[in-house]
Amino acid sequence: MAKLPHDDIYQLVREPIDMAALARHVRAPEDGAMVIFDGFVRNQSHNRPTLYLDYEAYESMALAKMREIGAQLHEKYRIHRVSVVHRLGRLEVGETSVFIAVSAPHRAAAFDACRFAIDTLKRTVPIWKKEYFEDGAVWADGELPPAPAATPRAKPAS
Amino acid sequence: MLKPVPLAPSSSAGYNSPVPPVSQTIRVTVLFFGRLKELTGHPEHSIEFTDAPTIEHLFALYAARHPELAKYRSSVVASRNQEFTAWDTPLRSGDEVAFLPPVSGG
Repeated sequence: MAKLPHDDIYQLVREPIDMAALARHVRAPEDGAMVIFDGFVRNQSHNRPTLYLDYEAYESMALAKMREIGAQLHEKYRIHRVSVVHRLGRLEVGETSVFIAVSAPHRAAAFDACRFAIDTLKRTVPIWKKEYFEDGAVWADGELPPAPAATPRAKPAS
Repeated sequence: MLKPVPLAPSSSAGYNSPVPPVSQTIRVTVLFFGRLKELTGHPEHSIEFTDAPTIEHLFALYAARHPELAKYRSSVVASRNQEFTAWDTPLRSGDEVAFLPPVSGG
């Protein structure tokens, strides 16, 4: 895995995400573009009004997977800095749960990298949300991460 | 200088035995998340085996204790030492295994 630049930021936090500070950090003089993804809590799910969400994570693995995504971004796209921050715990409607910012010399790479980052995060990072409604709570439908189907075995010696 | 400590009866059992007793114990830490944590009632569990189980064996063992787990088998992925892994992966002592329901971050 490629080494990540020192000025990238990958974090799991329990407090509100300071988007302005992160954006200031990612946006550098040598860049010409920054794309930001701000994912926040919707006020309904399948037409039921949402009261709040509760996020939990397999924290050590989630952080490792977020950093893996960052390494992939730097391999695939001509970008500069990356920030990926996910919040855990109870989040109210409208609060930001995930923040991704990518800076680049030119906009196309920043757009592509930011899209790749959120799509990959939602499929591979071990984080779960429980949705709370007036009349109960459910674990949100999720995506099954791709896992190896079976361990490759050495052929028996003949 | 420490005084010689007399051997306790239990520790003298294998003394002078031609083959030293070998411990085959495999200890694995198992983690459950999301609805699987609620079903099993524990987020983290430590378990010992005398033969190396696969991840599939490990899941079956918990499914026997918590029958509701079995119906989630097809919608669970497993990780070993924080990497997604195949169900036929054999476990080694000290491994950290997690059973993960479909992820829903973001």
